[in-house]
Amino acid sequence: MSGLRIGLVRGTWALTLCTMPAAPAPLDGQDRDRPIRVASKPYAESYLLAELFAQFLEANGFAVERRPGFGMTELLMQAMIAGEIDVYPEYTGTGLAAILGETAAGGSAAVFSRVSEEFEARWGMRWLPPLGFENTYAIAMRREAADSLEVRALSGLTAIAPDLVGGFSPDFIGRDDGLDGLAAAYGIEFRETRGLLQAVKYQAIEEGAVDVIDAYSTDGAISRYDLTVLTDDRSFFPPYDAAPLASRAFHEERPEAVLVLTRLGSRIDVAAMRRANERVEVEGRSVAEVAAELLAEIGLGGGPDEEMIPSAGAAARDAESPVLSALPRRMWDNRGELFRQVLRHLLLVVGSLGAAMAVAVPAGVVLERRRALAGTTLRVAGVLQTIPSIALLAFMIPVFGIGAVPAVVALFLYSLLPILRNTYTGIIEAAPHAVEAGRALGMTEWQLLARIRLPLAAPVIMAGIRTAAVINVGTATLAAFIGAGGLGDPIVAGLALSDPVMILSGAIPAAALALLVDWGLGGAEVLVAPRGVAEGRR
Amino acid sequence: MALIRVEEGVKRYGTTLALDGVSVSVDAGVCLALVGGSGSGKTTLLRAVNRLTRLDSGRVLVRGEPVDGQDPVRLRRSIGYVQQDGGLIPHWTCLANASLVPGLLGSPDASEQGRRALDATGLDPGEFGDRYPRELSGGQQQRIAIARAIAARPDILLMDEPFGALDAITRTEAQETFISLRESAGMTACFVTHDMSEALRVGTHIAVMQEGRIVLQVPAAELVDRATGYAAELLEKSGVPV
Repeated sequence: MSGLRIGLVRGTWALTLCTMPAAPAPLDGQDRDRPIRVASKPYAESYLLAELFAQFLEANGFAVERRPGFGMTELLMQAMIAGEIDVYPEYTGTGLAAILGETAAGGSAAVFSRVSEEFEARWGMRWLPPLGFENTYAIAMRREAADSLEVRALSGLTAIAPDLVGGFSPDFIGRDDGLDGLAAAYGIEFRETRGLLQAVKYQAIEEGAVDVIDAYSTDGAISRYDLTVLTDDRSFFPPYDAAPLASRAFHEERPEAVLVLTRLGSRIDVAAMRRANERVEVEGRSVAEVAAELLAEIGLGGGPDEEMIPSAGAAARDAESPVLSALPRRMWDNRGELFRQVLRHLLLVVGSLGAAMAVAVPAGVVLERRRALAGTTLRVAGVLQTIPSIALLAFMIPVFGIGAVPAVVALFLYSLLPILRNTYTGIIEAAPHAVEAGRALGMTEWQLLARIRLPLAAPVIMAGIRTAAVINVGTATLAAFIGAGGLGDPIVAGLALSDPVMILSGAIPAAALALLVDWGLGGAEVLVAPRGVAEGRR
Repeated sequence: MALIRVEEGVKRYGTTLALDGVSVSVDAGVCLALVGGSGSGKTTLLRAVNRLTRLDSGRVLVRGEPVDGQDPVRLRRSIGYVQQDGGLIPHWTCLANASLVPGLLGSPDASEQGRRALDATGLDPGEFGDRYPRELSGGQQQRIAIARAIAARPDILLMDEPFGALDAITRTEAQETFISLRESAGMTACFVTHDMSEALRVGTHIAVMQEGRIVLQVPAAELVDRATGYAAELLEKSGVPV
């Protein structure tokens, strides 16, 4: 399965991969006791396999650090190249099509040997033995629709597609190895094509808003929503064999751990994987629990030490339990975790905002003295503002790795413009006549700044800080994609598991936090407004 | 002795010649009115005195010393300055505004000097001292600006259209307050106006400016007799009976 191979930063990504020297991983710090960092993409199967790797490594005496839920293949690859993570579950077809940008030639074995060779040569990474099942793209329809239209295979879609609406992952649309290629291979042209996230795709097809979707062959939701998978009778999709992908540093420094993971080879068949996915996606059981069961089923049993992601709780998926009533209980049950996420979120926001204030306020003051530079500087800050958050986060990885640091740097860059612009205009517009009179009566430039301009500009500067803070609270949820934590964690995991309650348990606190920050800093704006200026204040 | 002296002052703004080799001298005790149309260079000339504007050529002497050799901050603290819109510091009380220059000079009794100055401009410090500029009328604000300019008892006072923004009645009152204040303190003053009747009422001497030069400089009493050309035109426009 190619999972969330989001194509947002594709152009830049390809460039980065080509130009980046292979594996700058530090070989000096060969600390054999450091935890092995196991990562995953944000969907049930990837969580499950990563948790399986983690538990199996732990059962064999290795310390493990879990980094679940990376937003997309691009981010994970960046982190692998930078040596920030050691291993994660990947699919040979994704490696071939999405990462190397090649088309399939031959079957499973050919694709595996091709990616093994190329990943080793380019980045020193190693594909460990495939786990034994394939999770390929599955083009699916509602069973009753497929039955009444008598479609069984993709070639059968050609004739009827002009009457159908397709709903596909954004990363599947507009790619040679995705919808474009599929359409060309089968001569399919839908009446309309909609981009739908994983989280809403199944609801959309159930409600009849779309007729055809892209799913994955091991997806638990296929049976849950009573869908029919159309056979790829012209073998358009490459083989997607699941396998652990090991970074250069990992297989060079920890061969004994790599050896443990190779024991998972050919152990998991497609039925076992689909069942495990169902337990998580349909029954709403915790990833750690299901991974432990899977490990036991394949005869390599060991108990979970730690949960990779918060348990959804079996009752939460119960159809009888609507989102709104399940939410407060879920949030209460997870209050400890929620509290840590809020703290973490605030830490990201406060850290980046503090740094941005320390830079942008003095810079705004300097710009007022050097107005010739102001236009250029504000334009540069403005351009930073327009970089999509996910792309900016992706750019940070080669430089700052993953986790909180790159997130804080990205949020810092976003905060610069509002603070810089407001400081600059606030100081220029602060009672120019009074400044002129003060100068004429012998105040020094420093006195003018400290005693007239800054106090008068303070509410305007504070308004800029407030804008930046509110933007940051929202943007920081995306930082979960690069492992920074915070309230984005339940949002990303919830989106991946199609669990609206989990999404809301992150989104509602994040929105509340944004309102609170806005309200609090609005109060600060009033507090810093000097007396004698604004009416009705103080 | 000339307390203020400008010799061959030239100032260009881009291609515009604001001062075209102007020379003027102001003796101690004089109240010189600089009269002229807009763009005649009168404000530029005034601002050259306390170095708010630096001349391209020529020189300015204050109390016999060239201003170019002086620290501009110290120079400005020794000269009172009033601008048309008052330019009061909005988040400071009236008393804080009035005490500005004594405070900058480090006087231990800065507030007391501010209070005396408010009193001298006809404002009760008890009533107005704690209020903020925006709570006052335009005329009262302008009196605070004058109080601020004279609080440290400078011997020289520069004013740029100080009564220009006031209505007729307030203006007359403010002018009268200023005349008696200046006479009792013996200050030398130089003020810019475009209104010939104001120049005649407030000034002891009149300098008429046109295109960056002084075309006529006379004691106020002699203006009517000696005005010719442009000066006579201004006189006529202002409605002063000739």
